[in-house]
Amino acid sequence: MKKKNWQRAFKDTLPVMMGYLAMGAAAGIVLAGTLPRLPATPLWGSVSSALSISGALQFLMVGWIKEGITLTDVVLLTVFLNLRYAMYGFSLIERFEGIPRWKKWYLIWTLTDETYALECADKRSGKEESVDYCMKVGFLDHCYWISGVTLGTLAGGALPFNCKGIDFAMTALFLVILTDQMREKFNRLPAVTGFAAALLARIFFPVDKMLIPAMGVMTLVFLLARRKFEAQKEKES
Amino acid sequence: MTNSELLRALLIVLLASVTTIGLRAFPFIAFGGRKETPRLIRYLGSVISPAAIAMLCIYCLFSHWKSYFCLWGGAEIAAGAVVVGLQLWKRNPLLSIIAGTVVYMVLVQNF
Repeated sequence: MKKKNWQRAFKDTLPVMMGYLAMGAAAGIVLAGTLPRLPATPLWGSVSSALSISGALQFLMVGWIKEGITLTDVVLLTVFLNLRYAMYGFSLIERFEGIPRWKKWYLIWTLTDETYALECADKRSGKEESVDYCMKVGFLDHCYWISGVTLGTLAGGALPFNCKGIDFAMTALFLVILTDQMREKFNRLPAVTGFAAALLARIFFPVDKMLIPAMGVMTLVFLLARRKFEAQKEKES
Repeated sequence: MTNSELLRALLIVLLASVTTIGLRAFPFIAFGGRKETPRLIRYLGSVISPAAIAMLCIYCLFSHWKSYFCLWGGAEIAAGAVVVGLQLWKRNPLLSIIAGTVVYMVLVQNF
């Protein structure tokens, strides 16, 4: 069972591997290029990526270190950038309840967009097996990200082939998960709400600032129309 | 780099990481540990998951469009359609993802 979970986790995380290696490498290259005076850049890259495992943050931190920023701003900007993570855990509370503490904290630590998406898509009946699978997905994604950033700092710009656009793999992963979720009828209305909220947010905000308003709008809709959504769910599940 | 600059850089990385982990832990700290998860939270959890994935799709497509600006969004639409179409048809995630990504790379590198 455990070995099978490794195989499944590896297969499921392959697209994440492509995305993280590409994006991590890009972040690493930026790090090495922007902060040439930083000693032991590859070590720096691996430590910072291991700690935060957050894509956009990895890029931003380089600028913060270079330009100087108050520590309060570091916290504030990180909260704005990553506020969506504070919502993800809600759908995982029950599944991660009562498991050993170190496992729970490791799962929380590695809860990126992609890891979350894969964990949501996992429909295991056995809790123990599902947690085991999630741990493996989290661990593999963690490794991919650290490898990507570290390799990027080592390569420093000299890549052997043109990988422009390879980061689309992560988008494709989200699309695949969405497509499969749409097979379940009761997921459709919430997904349409998410779409509408995202488009609405995109109309009023630039891309890099759209996630928080989008989450705000959808949460508001879900709270206000709770009866309707619950009735719908009852009917279609 | 002087020692104080280095220390500061380290502090930035640590603070940003701890804040990120704190955000990820928030629901578990605030609502975990109870005998039963409140109904509202269970409800929000079930509807937010598909909605968040849908939102991330839109977000990613727009950010690709912004960083490559290829064919007025045509590259994103074409590659996205390949992924969704193949997934509906063949139900093989790896195939859908690789095919879509290759289409996207070809488009952004040539147009």
